[in-house]
Amino acid sequence: MREEQMVLDVKGLPEHGFDTREPMWWGNLLLLLIETMTFVIAGAAFFYVSQNFNIWPPPRTETYSQLNPLPGLGNPTANLIALIVSASVMIWVDRSARRADKRAIKIGLLICLLLNLGSITLRAFEFMSIHVRWNSNAYGSVLWAILILHLMHLIVETAEAFILSVYTFNRPLDPRHRLDITVLAVYWYWVTIIWIPLYLMIYLGPRFH
Amino acid sequence: MSKTKEENVGVVREMRPRSEIDESSERQELERTWRAIPGLWGWLSNTNHKDIAMRYIVTAFIFFLLGGLEAALMRLQLSKPENTLLGPDLYNQIFTTHGTTMMFLFAVPILEGIGLYFVPMMVGTRNVSFPRLNAFGYYCYLLGGLFLYAGFLLNVGPDTGWFSYVPLAGPEFSPGKRVDIWAQMITFTEISALVGAVVIITTIFKQRVPGMSLNRLPLFVWSELVTSFMIIFAMPAVMMGSGMLAMDRLVSTHFFNPAEGGDAILYQHIFWFFGHPEVYIIFIPATGFVSTIIATFTRRETFGYLALVLSLIAVGFIGFGLWVHHMFATPLPQLGQSFFTGASMMIAIPNGVQIFCWLATLWGGKVNLKTPLLFVLGFVFIFVLGGLSGIVLASVPTDLQVHDTYFVVAHFHYVLIGGAVFPLFGALYYWFPKWTGRMMSEHLGKLNFWLLFAGFNLTFFPMHQLGLRGMPRRVYTYLPEMNWASFNLVATIGAGVMFLSVLTFLINVWVSRRSGAVAGANPWNAATLEWATESPAPAYNFIHPPAVNGRYPLWTRTAETPVVTGLSAERREVLLTSVVDALPQQRHELHGHSIWPLVTSFAVGVTLIFGIFTPWAYPVGSALMLLALYGWFWPKEGPKQYGTKEEQKLFFKHQTELSLRGQDPI
Ligand code: HEM
Ligand SMILES: [Cu+2]
Repeated sequence: MREEQMVLDVKGLPEHGFDTREPMWWGNLLLLLIETMTFVIAGAAFFYVSQNFNIWPPPRTETYSQLNPLPGLGNPTANLIALIVSASVMIWVDRSARRADKRAIKIGLLICLLLNLGSITLRAFEFMSIHVRWNSNAYGSVLWAILILHLMHLIVETAEAFILSVYTFNRPLDPRHRLDITVLAVYWYWVTIIWIPLYLMIYLGPRFH
Repeated sequence: MSKTKEENVGVVREMRPRSEIDESSERQELERTWRAIPGLWGWLSNTNHKDIAMRYIVTAFIFFLLGGLEAALMRLQLSKPENTLLGPDLYNQIFTTHGTTMMFLFAVPILEGIGLYFVPMMVGTRNVSFPRLNAFGYYCYLLGGLFLYAGFLLNVGPDTGWFSYVPLAGPEFSPGKRVDIWAQMITFTEISALVGAVVIITTIFKQRVPGMSLNRLPLFVWSELVTSFMIIFAMPAVMMGSGMLAMDRLVSTHFFNPAEGGDAILYQHIFWFFGHPEVYIIFIPATGFVSTIIATFTRRETFGYLALVLSLIAVGFIGFGLWVHHMFATPLPQLGQSFFTGASMMIAIPNGVQIFCWLATLWGGKVNLKTPLLFVLGFVFIFVLGGLSGIVLASVPTDLQVHDTYFVVAHFHYVLIGGAVFPLFGALYYWFPKWTGRMMSEHLGKLNFWLLFAGFNLTFFPMHQLGLRGMPRRVYTYLPEMNWASFNLVATIGAGVMFLSVLTFLINVWVSRRSGAVAGANPWNAATLEWATESPAPAYNFIHPPAVNGRYPLWTRTAETPVVTGLSAERREVLLTSVVDALPQQRHELHGHSIWPLVTSFAVGVTLIFGIFTPWAYPVGSALMLLALYGWFWPKEGPKQYGTKEEQKLFFKHQTELSLRGQDPI
């Protein structure tokens, strides 16, 4: 056996990074892939059951207004705008986390939190503006499923943002939590982006049916 | 001493005297950092990948034995006409539990478990990327399994078949809680499978040792990678499907209720969109075993590395275009049927390529016919037969003849047992020395193999004929006039032989664990990195992770092939490398043990178990889960300071610029 051995000494490597360097970033991406698949299945179910109805969306089942079966457009559109605005603010938070600009992170996270609370409230009204219950027909079931799934993501990301804000307000900013903020941002973008096709499918699609 | 700088900042490559590298103090330090806490608490909070993976393997094997016992009961019942051992209701529960156990509690978890054990070792790292998530996945799986069996023992075992078709499984025809138990068990096990897939992919992407670029990834790791991606694309479908079924039953949604615009065929689409890939999720890791074992026991590189990798990926893709062949007996458009027939035939191409590559490797190699290789040869034989009956089923006219008969039962046991259980036994014999430090007995091993091979064919070959004679599957008995008795008796005798075979295996494990020959680090003279460390491997896997210079690193390494030093032994540190080329990028501290994964899985358990009684379990349970996750993620120590503030700022600026310019290697 030789007396010497080649080594690769990695002591000098950094301990933190962002994006594709970090397992956390990949793990998050894969979870989002999984969640995207659930929405794909839900979307497929939406189109599949639509073939079973002569009128789409099916006529309302509540007695008070038989006439217009289309889902309301006001709340959902306001909500979509809120989501897009909060995602834009998130871009700024993401950048600030990379720069370690603590003040900007605090302000940005607070704005995002408030906007998301707004989104969650609007979502509650959205359930009413679709004018169909989950147990009225298959259309209602699919719609409720999609809205609830997306609502869950809204709640989870809000909780995550809340915890990260508490942390940022109380402790010095360390690299690991700056990474967490950038990963939260990716999640945030996804929650907004995934909603755009769903919004089109649920609210605009039937108008051009 | 020659000293050269790698391209990457912060890495030094140089020759060092061995005496300087092999520091025993470093070993002690690593022991202290990575060892599990003793006692029950330590057991419950353990997050070492090898311990968690071993739990997966042992638990899944126990479920295999349970599923086997259920199979034995079914075979006994069918051994003669008008037998009265099992009544119709119990028979329904038993075949459903058997199928469900074998697919969800045995095959997927054991193959993923072996991946979780060996992927980190084969890529040369110390633990998986998300150790806590990994432990959480195991507990979800365990809860799901226990839940199914609790139901079975309380006589509320699911009884609608392993795919629980509506309308039979819907609220109208299956009142009671049986189907709900099935649906929630699906959710438990799919969470676990998904979590395992995320852990495996990230570990493969980020924690490979330097030198292991993607085109040098061991074939077994490739197979686990492809499988994990298939899990990610397929499993959400079955979670949605079973979730929608549960909601139809619990809160009167109408997903599958035709009276209100729902659709029973929709359920079949969703289920088989998952169900067909599931077959490959089971089969592909097994092909990884096969490639590994063949290379080791012919002492040569597997023929056609690139062809094998490409066919794995091709199978992964085509596997998603076949699901409708399970639905040929439903009213589908003609065009759709021919498309799916074509696709089903097409998947024979990549599978054929794999078989030919293996045969080419065996051909002219110095074949060392040890037990693991024997199981692989058995696999090739049986799997090819299963493929042939598959061709019959892939074409619509013949499928309609044998749909729902024992021909189908024969076919899928040929592909499942041939395609997964035989390679699995080969893998267990192959890796037993690494797990225990001892060899298994070759004599008992060969006996094990021949009994399984003979018993298997005796059991399942006659079922082809039974199917052609019209015996439907899922019947608890039959009349003497049907002329099915003799073949059924043969099948039952075959099952008895398989039972003896598994018994031989258990005896072999028992005996070899205590008194098998001591194995040493690399008893088979194999080429992949798990054999570069002691058997059993220490908690940290390698004192110095060995970098690699080829696809079969242990056959080609020299003193010039570096080992990695400079990782902290006082913290659980691993090396992160770039995804494609495995260039060193960062040192990274992994999380240690934690009780929170267990607590979180309990929160999931409360949600899903009470969720079969009241919808309120979902919001309440979700709140519990959030609380548990809070415990999981809230940092115990205060922030560590890495370097001065200025240094940090500069570093991050530099890195952000690199990545914005697209120069940071992925
Ligand atoms: C150990 C030896 C085994 C024997 C003797 C056996 C026997 C049987 C029999 C007789 C049936 C048909 C029940 C019926 O239709 O009435 C059956 C169904 C089934 N088996 Fe096995 N089996 C064995 C192993 C396995 C394994 C290893 C797997 C999967 C990895 C498996 C998966 C299934 C599935 C999915 C079904 C369908 C259940 C259903 O109809 O819902 N079996 N088995
Ligand atoms: Cu299939």
